[in-house]
Amino acid sequence: MSWQTKFGRVAAVLAVMLAALASPLHAQVLNSGASTITLQAVLTDSISVSLSGNAVNFNLTAGSSNNPGSVGVTATTSWLLKPSVGSVNLYAFFSNSAAALTDGAGDNIPSADFQISDNAGPFTTLTSTVPFGGANAGLLVSSVKILGNNKSGTRTDVLNFNINLSTLPNMNAGTYTGTLTIQAQAI
Amino acid sequence: MKTGKIFRIGVVALSMALATSLASAQAANSGAQTIALNATLAESLTLSLSANAVNFTLAAGSPTNAGSTNITATTTWVLKPGRTAVGVYAYFASAAAALTDGAGDNIPSSAFFIADNAGPSTALTSATVFNAANAGMQLANVAITGANKNASRTDVMAFNINLSGGTLPQLPAATYTGTLNIQEQGTP
Repeated sequence: MSWQTKFGRVAAVLAVMLAALASPLHAQVLNSGASTITLQAVLTDSISVSLSGNAVNFNLTAGSSNNPGSVGVTATTSWLLKPSVGSVNLYAFFSNSAAALTDGAGDNIPSADFQISDNAGPFTTLTSTVPFGGANAGLLVSSVKILGNNKSGTRTDVLNFNINLSTLPNMNAGTYTGTLTIQAQAI
Repeated sequence: MKTGKIFRIGVVALSMALATSLASAQAANSGAQTIALNATLAESLTLSLSANAVNFTLAAGSPTNAGSTNITATTTWVLKPGRTAVGVYAYFASAAAALTDGAGDNIPSSAFFIADNAGPSTALTSATVFNAANAGMQLANVAITGANKNASRTDVMAFNINLSGGTLPQLPAATYTGTLNIQEQGTP
């Protein structure tokens, strides 16, 4: 074997080895340092009440226990709550138990003679002290227990009204006006 | 020293837990929605009678010619503030001809008597708010107080025709008809 042949073989082997070594070095990735982005998504808790109407009229009959309102009002309560909330309560109330409605001349219809039926339930007077309104001038209309599956929810309460004048047989003829307030609380 | 440090850390941790607990118990309230209420108790004054006809079988010249039946007037009222009285009245349109035969022969209102609730019999000879002069009477006057703004009253009326006075003993035989009105008024 000539020295030229030997040299050629050695050169070929070296070339193969260099190629094999050079290839992995060329494929290695280069990473930067990790930069972070802080994410904050706020789902605000909320509770709201909407009413289907804002006025109810009554044609009163003196001494009668049955003086229904001209129309029912549907209260729709919607909520989106934090995990710690235990219930959603809907209240109806007057600011003053002695004068829920008044003729402005000293003649009053007390809240004890004003009745609400919720979702066709029994008529109930507004004689409780609730978180809103005057003492003994309110009613807990409904209470929804908040569980894992209804932290976001809605409820409808169909409110029908009645004024009982059987305890006010000597009420003056006149026009009596008042404001009933509906409000919800999550607690 | 070490115990004190642990105690202080414990107090701080407890305070934070309490604050968190209180914050989560805070109630969330909806906005207040209002319903305007308007209740009208209309003023009313009504009168109903138990019957609408009375017959008399007359005896010429007799002071006692009782009606065939008594009539009960039921007065019912619901009044506005400021009313102080309810009056009930009986009257004819004409004092001279309370009843007439249509041929010029008349029984005057002064010969027609009403006894209210078994009281004395009284001739219809007064002017009232509803009738011509001297042809009526006030059956009742009810004072309105705080206790009777909404109330009712009954007046049982017994009737008589007195044919003994003046020219009435000479009244010709005939059928005499007339209309007695009962009406009430709330004042002022």
